[in-house]
Amino acid sequence: MNAMSLPDADAVIARARLGDPVALEALYRAYAVPVYNLSRRICRTTEDAEDILQETFFEVCRSIRNYRGDGSIWGWIRSVASSKALMRLRRNKYRDTDELNDDFAPSRSASPGLRMDLESAMARLTDTARAVVWLHDVEGYTHEEIAGQMGKTVSFSKSQLARAHVRLRSWLGEEALA
Amino acid sequence: MTAHLSMEQLLALRDGDRSEPGLAEAQRHFSGCSRCQIELDRLHQRTARLRALPILVPAGNEFPAVQQRMAVERRQRHWRSAATAVLAAAAALVLTVIGRDIVHPTRLDAEQQLRTAMSKSAQLEQRLRDWNSDQRVIDGQTAIVVIQLEDKIADLDARLQAQATHRRSAPTAEELKLWQQRVGLMNALVDVHLTNASSVGL
Repeated sequence: MNAMSLPDADAVIARARLGDPVALEALYRAYAVPVYNLSRRICRTTEDAEDILQETFFEVCRSIRNYRGDGSIWGWIRSVASSKALMRLRRNKYRDTDELNDDFAPSRSASPGLRMDLESAMARLTDTARAVVWLHDVEGYTHEEIAGQMGKTVSFSKSQLARAHVRLRSWLGEEALA
Repeated sequence: MTAHLSMEQLLALRDGDRSEPGLAEAQRHFSGCSRCQIELDRLHQRTARLRALPILVPAGNEFPAVQQRMAVERRQRHWRSAATAVLAAAAALVLTVIGRDIVHPTRLDAEQQLRTAMSKSAQLEQRLRDWNSDQRVIDGQTAIVVIQLEDKIADLDARLQAQATHRRSAPTAEELKLWQQRVGLMNALVDVHLTNASSVGL
C-alpha cells in the first residue's frame, strides 16, 4: 500500500534526527496508519497490531539518527514495522505450525454460500503464510527480502506463497478448472 | 508439456521470475492453454483484491505511550549512570570499612547492616538489568509509576553520593537509613516491572 506523504519530509526528518518531539510526532502522524495496517494484516489481533505500532515508533524515535536517507523514510519505517511484526509472530509461534492448516476449510463441494470472503480466508492461513502473502503481494517485498527478514531460504518464501495461494483459491471457491 | 501449470509456475509467470526452472517451457504451454490463462487471470484478480482490502486504522493514538517509553528510557539511562557512580563510591567505602573492622570490631553491626543493604541493592539492580525492562512494553499507567519510583531513587542516589563524598569515619545512621530506603524502592520497582509483565502474558 502507499503510505501517506510527509510534507517537507527532509526538514521533518532532519529535526527528528535531533530528537525534536514535534518532528517525531509528525512522522508518527504520517505513517501510523500504514504501519498499523501492515501489522494488523500480518498479525491476528488488534492488540498485537497496537503493540507493534507502539514498538515500531519507539524504535523509530530511538534509531532515527541511524537513518541515512539511502531509501525512502517510509521504506525504512516499514522495514522496522515488518521486522517487529515478524518478531511478534515468532513470539506467538505456539499458535502456528509449519504446515498450512486447512482443517477448517470448506470442502471442495461447498456451496457458493459457504465461500469465505478474502479477509476470512487470509485469517485462516497460518501466520507465516499470511505474512508472506501480505509482504510479497501487497507490500512488494521480494522473496529474498522476506527470506532475510524471516531467517529462512528464498525457496521457503516461494513455497509458502504458492501453497497459500492454492489454499486461498480453494477457500474462495475459485477451484482450478476441471 | 501436457500437465497444467503449478501455482509455483503461475506465480513465476506473474512475477517474471526467471529463476524458476522450466519457465520457457511453461510459457510455451501457457500461450496455448486457456485453462492456465484463466488461472493466471484469477491470480491477478486475487492479488488486486488483496491490495484493495480496506485500510485498517488504529483505534487510538499510540504516540503518547511512545513518548512515555522514551521518557522512561531517558530517566533510566540517567539514573543508571548516577547509580553506577554511587555504587562505585559504596564499593570503595566497603573496602575501607572492611579494613577498619579489624581495628574497630565494635562498629561491625552498623557496617554489616550497611554492607547488607548495599549488596541487596546491587542484586536488585542486576535483576532489573537481567529482566531487560527497557525492551518491554508497558502501559501508560505503569510507565508513570516507574518514572515516580526512578525519580525517588535518583533523589536518594544524589543524597547518598553527598554522604559518601563527605564521610571520613564510620557510616552514620542517616546513611544506613538512606540505603535501606533505596532497597525498598528498588524492590517496588522490580515488583512493578514483574507485575506489568505478568499482566501482558510475557
